[in-house]
Amino acid sequence: MKRKLPLIIVLVTGIFGVLTYIIPHPIIQDTDAVFRNDILRVIGAFSIVLGIGSILRHHFIKIKRKAEHWGYSWITVVALFVSAIIGLFGGIDPTRPGLLPTQVGGFSFHIQSLFTGLIVPLGSTMFALLAFFMASAAYRAFRARNLEATLLLVSAFILMLGAVPLTRMIVRELPSFAEWILAVPNTAAKRGIGFGISLGILATSLKIILGIERGWLGGGE
Amino acid sequence: MALSCIVALLLCTLPPPGGVAARDVPNDAGGKIAVTWTRSPDGSVINYRVLRQAEGATEWDTIGMAGRLASRYFDEGAGNGTPYRYKVLAEADTLQGESEPSGYAKAAPQWFNTGRIPSIIGTALILVIFLYTFQQARRGAKMFIRRIAGLDAVEEALGRATEMGRPTLYVPGLSTIDDVATIASLNILGEVAKKTAKFGTPLIVPNRDPIVYTVAREVVKESYASVGRPDAFNPDSVFFLTDQQFAYAAAVDGIMLREKPATNFLIGMFWAESLILAETGAISGAVQIAGTDAVSQLPFFITACDYTLIGEELYAASAYISREPLRLGAIKGQDYNKLIILALILGGTLLALAVDIRITDIL
Amino acid sequence: MAASGSAGRKGFWERLQRIDRRWIYLVIWLVVMVPLIKPFPIKPVASPPVQQMFSYIDSMPEDKALIISVDYSPDTQAELHPMTLALLRHAFATDRRVGLVATTVYGLGLGEDALREVKREFDSVATRHEDSVISGEDFIFWGWTTPLLTMMLGMGERITNVFPVDYYGARTESLPMTRHVKNYNDVGILVSVAGSSMPISWVAYAQTQFGLRIGCGTTAVSAADYYTYLNSGQFTGMLAGMRGAAEYEQLTREKMDRLGMTWRVRNRGTEAMSSQTAAHIAIILFIVVGNIGYFATRRRKS
Repeated sequence: MKRKLPLIIVLVTGIFGVLTYIIPHPIIQDTDAVFRNDILRVIGAFSIVLGIGSILRHHFIKIKRKAEHWGYSWITVVALFVSAIIGLFGGIDPTRPGLLPTQVGGFSFHIQSLFTGLIVPLGSTMFALLAFFMASAAYRAFRARNLEATLLLVSAFILMLGAVPLTRMIVRELPSFAEWILAVPNTAAKRGIGFGISLGILATSLKIILGIERGWLGGGE
Repeated sequence: MALSCIVALLLCTLPPPGGVAARDVPNDAGGKIAVTWTRSPDGSVINYRVLRQAEGATEWDTIGMAGRLASRYFDEGAGNGTPYRYKVLAEADTLQGESEPSGYAKAAPQWFNTGRIPSIIGTALILVIFLYTFQQARRGAKMFIRRIAGLDAVEEALGRATEMGRPTLYVPGLSTIDDVATIASLNILGEVAKKTAKFGTPLIVPNRDPIVYTVAREVVKESYASVGRPDAFNPDSVFFLTDQQFAYAAAVDGIMLREKPATNFLIGMFWAESLILAETGAISGAVQIAGTDAVSQLPFFITACDYTLIGEELYAASAYISREPLRLGAIKGQDYNKLIILALILGGTLLALAVDIRITDIL
Repeated sequence: MAASGSAGRKGFWERLQRIDRRWIYLVIWLVVMVPLIKPFPIKPVASPPVQQMFSYIDSMPEDKALIISVDYSPDTQAELHPMTLALLRHAFATDRRVGLVATTVYGLGLGEDALREVKREFDSVATRHEDSVISGEDFIFWGWTTPLLTMMLGMGERITNVFPVDYYGARTESLPMTRHVKNYNDVGILVSVAGSSMPISWVAYAQTQFGLRIGCGTTAVSAADYYTYLNSGQFTGMLAGMRGAAEYEQLTREKMDRLGMTWRVRNRGTEAMSSQTAAHIAIILFIVVGNIGYFATRRRKS
């Protein structure tokens, strides 16, 4: 039963998903809306609790065992609680204050300032790493090893030159040629791969609805 | 008295819109009636006012205005089953032209959307082919699948981790559970977990989505149980990190550099963080198997990983690893369907070309 | 002597092949940082997808609103935030109503930040009430809600049902702009500025179900993915990466100049273009050097 019940739920909801596409009647559409608006939200809320539980558990175990770098686990746990409390009770900024004071002298730590002062620069730093990794990957691995690799290299070259405004002065048509590569051969290849992917998605969905694919249940019979 | 007569005369001088008709909007959930008319021939019309009267009522209510170029209005406030009729007033600065009332129409919800028939036929055709190949597979027909190097390498890569006594890292992508790529990734995770359970290699599965985390945890737990090693499952090996894209990437990078996994699986949906993960993995010296249907991230994985599953190979992976006949049947079904789509594209293009050439010949 | 010279040269290429990647990082850091501190002037020229989006927004019917969906997070804001700013400037300069919505929680802070910056620019030069930018009249920041599907579909029917209160807690039903912007019928175009595949979700739900026109702003990395949608007309224009942002800024700048709005604003996309150009050139050189090294060492091995 433990195995059958999820399979039955998947079969029923899967078929119901198809029905909502072809039956416009309110009985079906309203039921679908209840699924989407209420049931999914409730499941989502529970999963957030589980997620936070998981992250706390993970770090408390580390702290308890004094595992390597356990000090950082404290930072995670404290940051989690502090930002949650400020977010819930501190208001958006000093012009829209909440229950808790979020200003000490000239130093304010309301949620918008935590956001712009911490999250934005930290996130941007991670994204900026891409420039370094791209350069090193281009240098190490972008080689004209065979015909395909050479073609890839040449088109990448043209695209990058096309992106450099200075080349417009040297070869006027280069940016439009780069645009053409993106709009025509790139799109053609993508559509080809897209057909394969869509059929793959269809096959996977069908296998799940029919209970052929049980990997998401952990496999087994 | 005389003044009101003049006003009434003035108000009636605009040619009214004609042919006002009302009918239920088809293929909807009801509550909607379409009112159509032919525009007033007068150029000075500013807008049209749409009036409604329920059967048995004496009042005409204004329900909306339409622009001077409009010849259609949707009454979205109609009650199902109540007969209504409509009038349309053409309005200029001081003039009005009132149409004859339309016939009565009732709004009703429909049980079948006829607009979806072509896509239903298409989907049905595709499904029939899949069911046929499933049937063939069940009968034990031999299915040929080309070699996929990335999947052949799974066993070897896991063996390497075991020999080196280092863990295996499995990143199930950064998308949510409603992304089929995530489900495909979880299917592969099930197979990988069975092998790590057999080999006794520690498995690390960090997650970005809380729902994916709960499913991934069950998948790994069940996989360990299914090969008879429930005791080897470490509940702390599958965990939730954060739902922020680059914070997640930073955390996974940290795991790669601290725990030094011998094998990294990056399988599922990825965005701009793909290269950040793959390059860090390359720096840490792990064997990396990536797979995604995010086409724009493929070049990064191909450059920085040892093996990459491209697009549909991701969906074929669980069948390929498990070699289960029914799952293999689905791959054959995909091939047949692809053949049909290819033939349709080719046929359509040729037909379009033929028509084009004929027309230019005539011209 | 000559032989040892040749061996030395080959040794040089081989060494260069195995160079510590931190040297590469250093070069990239320099070529990015130096032009940021001392930029060289570059005048962006709009590419067709950018021009297409600008022209549509510029010439759409006056009563139609622009919706900007802030679908990115702080990580990609360097590339994407300038697009939101430029779109807001263009809309406010041409008196268009703007709706802002966030599909991720992070979009809330970014949307608020963008509105605050552009509002300040306009308000600081406004002499009359009509010239200033007012929440609820000129724009509504609806904020964020979940789940996504409910939001995208629900806004097509009635926006106030999905967002009973705006981000600042005001009842949307009572805001003057709500009278003119009830659902997608009153929206000229929705531009999804995203680092993820959110623009495709907008197409799948808001466009296929309600016929809403969609434009997209995306990171340069994801741009190649979206050309299919651009080709098929599902996207009305696209701003791709920092370059797309810079091009839109240029078009907006020219438009504002024509309208006599000559005050200076920070065009962050354009500012960063010299850095990006230098980085592109550096990566091109890396690839060239890498390949020369590859062929030089391969010849020796063979």
